[in-house]
Amino acid sequence: MQTLPVNGYDMAYLDVGDGPPLVCVHGSLCDFRIWFCVLGPLSKERRVVPVSLRHFFPERWDGRSDTYSIAQHVADVIGFIEQLNIGPVDLMGHSRGGHVAFRVAQQRPDLIRKLILAEPGGELDATLDPDTQPGPSPLAARIATAADKIAAGDVEGGLTFFFDAIEGPGAWTRLPATPKQQLRDNAFTLIGQARDGRPPFSKTDAEAIKMPTLFIGGARTKGTLPRVLQALAAHVPNARTVMIPNATHPMFEQAPQRFCEIVQEFLAEA
Amino acid sequence: MQTLSVNGYDMAYLEIGTGRPLVCVHGTLGDFRTWSAVLGPLSKNHRVISVSLRHFFPEHWDGVGDDYLMVQHVADMIGFLEKLGDGPVDLMGHSRGGHIAFRTAQLRPDLLHRLVLAEPGGELDATLDPTVAPDGTSQRAARFAASASKVSEGDIEGALKLFFDTIEGDGAWGRLPAAPKQQLRDNVFTLIGQAGENRKPYAKAEAQSIETPTLFIGGAATKGSLPAVLRALAAQVPGARTAMIEGCGHWMFEQAPEQFSAIVTEFLEG
Repeated sequence: MQTLPVNGYDMAYLDVGDGPPLVCVHGSLCDFRIWFCVLGPLSKERRVVPVSLRHFFPERWDGRSDTYSIAQHVADVIGFIEQLNIGPVDLMGHSRGGHVAFRVAQQRPDLIRKLILAEPGGELDATLDPDTQPGPSPLAARIATAADKIAAGDVEGGLTFFFDAIEGPGAWTRLPATPKQQLRDNAFTLIGQARDGRPPFSKTDAEAIKMPTLFIGGARTKGTLPRVLQALAAHVPNARTVMIPNATHPMFEQAPQRFCEIVQEFLAEA
Repeated sequence: MQTLSVNGYDMAYLEIGTGRPLVCVHGTLGDFRTWSAVLGPLSKNHRVISVSLRHFFPEHWDGVGDDYLMVQHVADMIGFLEKLGDGPVDLMGHSRGGHIAFRTAQLRPDLLHRLVLAEPGGELDATLDPTVAPDGTSQRAARFAASASKVSEGDIEGALKLFFDTIEGDGAWGRLPAAPKQQLRDNVFTLIGQAGENRKPYAKAEAQSIETPTLFIGGAATKGSLPAVLRALAAQVPGARTAMIEGCGHWMFEQAPEQFSAIVTEFLEG
């Protein structure tokens, strides 16, 4: 695959289409392939650049180094955009990739023209959610349990546990073989994710995001992600939100055409 | 994307892994993304090179032109393998891509180490099937021509449904998840080209002339004429092996990616 040297690591990426650049960052257990279903419509009018973060497929990581963290991935995406050397890009992130994209935008607004956050992953601190409990969130606890299973050799058990925590009981079993295999290809990244060191979002963080920002959600997503999206969208100054009916967390896989329409419309505006 | 210039056309491809090249050729409405489910398992032991044929995504072809021909795609495949230039490669084709791989092996056995044909597409001539119509028409060919007409008339969904249901049975298109649907939709205009591709039926002497060690892979639940084509060819290709995957239809590598990959890897390394 094509790679760019970033912070001592060869970051793999795909590069499809011509036009204004849109860098895409996948979430947990995913990689550059997660964007395949939207590559067609999006690449008609722009240059779409899905990356694979450090330690995700095509790398075959065994979970055994301490180079997996939010901070490292944020630094890597910053480095990647700098290496592209084409000026400010549009940046899109899904789930944990949305958290990464948010932090990139917060630290290096000069690199970003517009920001798209598809149900960004993370937790809210007390300035955004007064009911927040101190200590690890329920989701963080589940990630740790899933990571322990995988490290102990129970890959299917760990993946089932993690996936059902996000999409509901039985969801892993119902998932078709193709998306399942692509998550399985990245199973060991959960071991790293248990040590992510991911800071919660704060009101000040959200208020610091300066560029036009689009939040996209699935109207039927379960758990805490919708609340995180709403809280951030309420405080990012130049934000809009679009919910996709009948969709859950992987909303672009469930409604690729609608997702692309929403993204194209937002990016094409002056 | 990475491309190789072949016969005046920049052929896009995805390349993952190290070792002997395993060049993978998609079928009707497919492209380099077709093999995404097996990229992980296969790239453990092979240098997987998944190509997009002329006029398939990432090209956004509109169906206009007269170079969408079977002979052109075969010539492009040969040209691509010549350009790789690393010694004999393994070649795997699915459906129409299996037809292309078969013709490549027929014309240029010197380029190949092993051949994998996953339910190769095409028709049998009278030397392989005495019941075949003398003028070479078939019900399946007629339905594909009808799909192409629908595309020309602007009935994109109707064309895709007719094509997909012809292969996988009534209602199959309706049951297909949105993500794989979109990837087929991205290539819908190639149906127009396919209607005029001038594909020849398989002949007994052709199958008997294949020198390359060959594995046929089928889905035990595949409907229609493809299983009969597979059996007829496998009976004539010297030393050919056959593996049928239970519970799978025509896109068997999407439905059983680990099993498919294990079968392929065992054959290629044997």
